[in-house]
Amino acid sequence: MRELANLRKETHAALCLACGKCSTMCPLSPSGWFSAARMVAIRDPESEIVREDGGQAHSLDACLTCGSCEVRCPEGVHFVDFVRGVRALAPAGQRRSCPHGEMLQSAARVMAGKKAPQRDFAWLENGQENDLEIAEEGEVALFVGCLPFYDILFGRELGLETVEIARAAIRILNHVGIRPVLLSEERCCGHDLLWNGEQEAFEALAGANAAAFEARGVRHIVTTCAECCRTWRLDYPEAAPDYQPKIQHMSEFMAEKIEAGEIQWRGEALGTMTFQDPCRLGRHLGVTDAPRRVLASFGDGTGESRLVEMGKVGVDAQCCGTSGFIHCDANSKRLQSERLRSAAATGADTLVTACPKCLIHFRCAQSEDRRRHRETPDLGVMDLTVLAAAALDRPAPLATETTTHLEGDAL
Amino acid sequence: MTEAPSARGREPSWLDGAELWVPELQAEPYDIRAIDPSPCTQACPAGINVKSYVSLIAESRFAEALEVVRESCPLPGICGRICHHPCEPACKRSEIDEPVAIRALKRFVADLELELPLPEPPPPPDKKDRVAIIGSGPAGLTAAYDLRLAGYPVTVHEAAPEPGGMLRYGIADYRLPVEVLDREIAVLARAGIEIQTDHRIGSGTELESLLDGCSAALFAVGAQRGRRLGLEGEDECCEVEDALSFLRRVNSGDHEPVTGRVLVIGGGSTAIEAARAALRLGAESVEIVYRRARAEMPADEEEKEIAEEEGIGLRLLSAPARLVIRDGGLEGLECLRVALGEPDASGRRRPNPIPGSEFVLAADRIFAAIGQEAVLDFLPEDVAARVAERGLIRVDPTTTMTALHGVFAAGDVVSGPSTVIDAIAAGHRAAAAMRHFLEDGRPLIEADSKGLAEAVEYEVPAAPPALAGRRRPVHSGIVSGREFDEVELAFTPEAAVAEAQRCMRCGPCSECLICAASCGRRHITLRSAGVEPGRQSERFAALLRAPARVAGSLDSRSGRAVARLLPAHDVEPGAGLEVELAPNRISIEEDYCRGCSRCIEVCAFEAIHLVDPKAAETAVRVEPALCRGCNLCVAVCPTDAAVPTTVAPGWWGTRLEDLYPPLLAFSSESPLVVFACQRRVESVRQALDRDRLEPPLAHLVPVRCAGQLDAGALLELYRHGAGGFVVAGCLSGSCRYGFGPQLAAEQLLRMRKLLAALGADPDCVAGDWAGEGDTDPFDLRVLGIAPDSSTAVRRPGRPGQGDQESCAS
Ligand SMILES: Cc1cc2nc3c(=O)[nH]c(=O)nc-3n(C[C@H](O)[C@H](O)[C@H](O)COP(=O)(O)OP(=O)(O)OC[C@H]3O[C@@H](n4cnc5c(N)ncnc54)[C@H](O)[C@@H]3O)c2cc1C
Ligand code: SF4
Ligand code: SF4
Ligand code: SF4
Ligand code: SF4
Repeated sequence: MRELANLRKETHAALCLACGKCSTMCPLSPSGWFSAARMVAIRDPESEIVREDGGQAHSLDACLTCGSCEVRCPEGVHFVDFVRGVRALAPAGQRRSCPHGEMLQSAARVMAGKKAPQRDFAWLENGQENDLEIAEEGEVALFVGCLPFYDILFGRELGLETVEIARAAIRILNHVGIRPVLLSEERCCGHDLLWNGEQEAFEALAGANAAAFEARGVRHIVTTCAECCRTWRLDYPEAAPDYQPKIQHMSEFMAEKIEAGEIQWRGEALGTMTFQDPCRLGRHLGVTDAPRRVLASFGDGTGESRLVEMGKVGVDAQCCGTSGFIHCDANSKRLQSERLRSAAATGADTLVTACPKCLIHFRCAQSEDRRRHRETPDLGVMDLTVLAAAALDRPAPLATETTTHLEGDAL
Repeated sequence: MTEAPSARGREPSWLDGAELWVPELQAEPYDIRAIDPSPCTQACPAGINVKSYVSLIAESRFAEALEVVRESCPLPGICGRICHHPCEPACKRSEIDEPVAIRALKRFVADLELELPLPEPPPPPDKKDRVAIIGSGPAGLTAAYDLRLAGYPVTVHEAAPEPGGMLRYGIADYRLPVEVLDREIAVLARAGIEIQTDHRIGSGTELESLLDGCSAALFAVGAQRGRRLGLEGEDECCEVEDALSFLRRVNSGDHEPVTGRVLVIGGGSTAIEAARAALRLGAESVEIVYRRARAEMPADEEEKEIAEEEGIGLRLLSAPARLVIRDGGLEGLECLRVALGEPDASGRRRPNPIPGSEFVLAADRIFAAIGQEAVLDFLPEDVAARVAERGLIRVDPTTTMTALHGVFAAGDVVSGPSTVIDAIAAGHRAAAAMRHFLEDGRPLIEADSKGLAEAVEYEVPAAPPALAGRRRPVHSGIVSGREFDEVELAFTPEAAVAEAQRCMRCGPCSECLICAASCGRRHITLRSAGVEPGRQSERFAALLRAPARVAGSLDSRSGRAVARLLPAHDVEPGAGLEVELAPNRISIEEDYCRGCSRCIEVCAFEAIHLVDPKAAETAVRVEPALCRGCNLCVAVCPTDAAVPTTVAPGWWGTRLEDLYPPLLAFSSESPLVVFACQRRVESVRQALDRDRLEPPLAHLVPVRCAGQLDAGALLELYRHGAGGFVVAGCLSGSCRYGFGPQLAAEQLLRMRKLLAALGADPDCVAGDWAGEGDTDPFDLRVLGIAPDSSTAVRRPGRPGQGDQESCAS
């Protein structure tokens, strides 16, 4: 396999010294996987691609692509890219152990088809009067991502409504005078398919999204999802090089606006909070500071809102156990339980995340434990954007017209 | 049929290469005979389908349960009281705690009938060949009933004033009330069996004239004479008597008091019966003298316990040696102590009297219960010489016929003193042989369940249902003035249901009917061996309707379950074609299982358990013996840890890869995909045929249960071009897997929401639910996904079609 040899070179996997430093970081090591990615690299990767019985090798699926291993690697091996590359080499149509009946992947694949989806925005209403304002065209867009689909899959089971994250983002954008563009033809960002090895479908999605956003005049895209953010910022430039808008995670956007004095909080006591760095945001994009600046600012007024830190944070933070809805197993559960316990151990009463997927995974672990009457930390798990929207000093009256003052920031 | 797609860790399907599809075979109806018997049924001489009736009791379906018992036992209330229940020691539940109280359950359902009017008699005999039966014990009555139901005029000749044999004159009222006996015999008599009592063959009516008047005869005369002790002075001393004569007197209503100290010699049920009767008639003390150890007493353990509870002493390892008689009066019994040696032919250790160990037991009365002999004086000498051997009647074991052509024998007179259920089983076999003899001159017995059954070893599930221990029927003890009232009290309905729920439903055939449904030609019905085909398929259908508790199973050790395909009218034993059934079971990939318990919640059979509920991370285990293979757990497992082991070709196995390729390679017709659960697949197939809907217009995909579908897979089919989906399943309550309809409805709703979120038409998805009924209402027009002869179905927007807006790329 020539591609494999190239891949090894490109990702520096060929340079691996087998020093084992990665294994000390890999969250799967305690369960005997050492570094899942290194297992793929040092074993015969060809045999890792297809298992004898036709299934996928477990280590290839199980790798969280969290990137922990790369943090300490003296040779700079890009294990994460290597694993992604190997997955893409698996024969087409080969099933991975995608959890949840592959529903989310299927939805993404449907969206990768020629016909554009026609998403509706009924969810903007939230049963009450809709005071949120969005635009057809404009400079700034909110990339909603898969939130409505999550609610179809998990809403009832976990008592979750992740579209609330999008509503919160719009409220904040409105608050600072922005009417964000929302696209009914928005497609899935393609993150999950890309990491599932479905390169072609990913490229179709990226191309279609880039064209659609460009056509609406969008130059600045804000997203509430760490995985969407990574994909737009790192993977879209390769797949759709002609369109390069500014990409911001909501935490970055908010941090900027807080510091510019455009966002103020009511100063309500939010209690003690701790923060889960999503892998894609922290390790992949290096964004560890912005969400903390937002969280710290809550306490500025009164001191009754406090940020405390878990042991492993920033680039050392522990993964929530699953990325891209690609794989879920006993290890995922263990990582979730562990992380919930560490969060509770800080004395925090809220674990704040900046990725809807982390939110779903922690809530899932909690609900499973409750269902089984097992002890689970009594801890709220909240999305950062939702928390922020609720803390705004006034409910989002849209400052009159205009997005012009953004021009300085854009690009 | 296309080949079964191979999937991860999957074994080949049981239908692979099975000759079920051979066209010649389809010409006439076949039966799948489950080589099923659960250990209890295997142990039952009459092959009563214990699993079936116990399961029905667990469902509170008492009348049906009694029907099942009656299929193989015409005397349910009697067996429910005094059967020595070999099923119970065989019950697998005893490896976990204690056996299911099978006998008491049988009595419970039989009692419910006592108050009802007698059933309507069957139509009068339509056959001319008369059958004569000598003896109205259980063997004679059973054979008479079977032959009468088969249309023969039957006359039973009984020497005693009342029918019943040892049931009446051996077994006393406090164990078997005479009302129960009368009632159950009345049911048989009402069916048209003529019973002539006070009619001894051999005195008055001679055997020859009896045989002249009939086309076939059965000797079922039992073993009526008690064996003598063979001790000096026995014949002269009126205080020494055989127990059988004593019991016959007592059971004829002669309750003359018994006084003083009583010794009963022997260790069988007759000994215990005599001892308990003597106690009830006023004996000062009663002691049973037996040569060997307690465990070797042939009497049933429960009987021994009750005797001890009532205050009867057991003097074990003591061999009677001499009667102590002074002045013609009995004073006692001299015994020798016994040492047990090597096992003898019977497997019990040989009792060796120890010389010089004599001791004397004082006694005022002695009853000898050391064996019974058949009384064959009704046989003329020349006949006796041909048919008798060592005091019993000899028969050909494969035909039960004696050396006299057309004359059969059954019961104690063939086997020597045995048990009621053995006599019933022998009666059935003799009747079957006599029918063949009368119909085609060959006294062959169709291979019964025992013939077909392989000795299957069952594994005990590690986590059995209903962990509560065995419920015991209550004993009233002896009540003064009412000494002969029944002592064992019946279960209450609640206790019976709870006890029945302890049954683990062992047995290889899961009774899933998938073979019958797969055949699709209605040429296969399912029955267990040895029972009338029609009735038995009904029974299975009834069982399957019971939602939760009636699980079948497979032989989990060898991993295979077996059934045999036989022509329905097969008469040659073993002439069938063998089909191996490897029923679908679930395996859990432990690495993947996150222990979320969703599967446990949807399994109606309590087949899944957390390995260690307290551990932080834990996996689940599926109990193959309880799993019915419905795949509901597979559908809900969020991590795909639950994997089905078997997918029949052409059947949807929960995952796309299990689909046959046509579904993933749709033509441009955007076809309708119809999923039908196994119960409805046949009628849905007919409805589609009627509407001329076949590929490429419509694809019918059989599923075990509608609940096994998931929205992800539907969406994937949609992506491949499916234009619409219909799921035909059961109404909740009719699902044989419990939660199917609920799960299916959830997934359909999810699918509609997904389609809406994608901007597609959610109305291309419909569910069609039908209850258990005669006609299946399936009709696409009613569902609003009406077929249109020109195009296919109502076409929702779908990718790759219609709108040609292109992607930027
Ligand atoms: C005291 C006692 C207790 C028992 N307890 C149990 C128990 O708890 N559980 C159990 O399973 N089994 C028990 N048994 C055994 C069981 O009763 C017998 O095995 C069974 O009844 C045998 O049935 P059968 O039809 O072969 O013969 P029988 O029941 O003996 O019936 C034979 C009939 O033939 C009639 N007969 C005989 N000769 C002639 C003739 N020449 N003309 C006309 N009629 C004739 C007899 O009068 C009798 O009615 C017990 C037996 C005894 C004696
Ligand atoms: S990417 Fe994460 S899960 Fe994968 S090997 Fe590296 S550290 Fe382990
Ligand atoms: S558990 Fe039930 S099926 Fe199994 S042997 Fe006992 S009574 Fe029969
Ligand atoms: S849900 Fe169905 S397939 Fe799963 S273990 Fe229970 S009976 Fe077996
Ligand atoms: S549903 Fe799947 S992951 Fe959950 S406990 Fe059952 S087998 Fe394990």
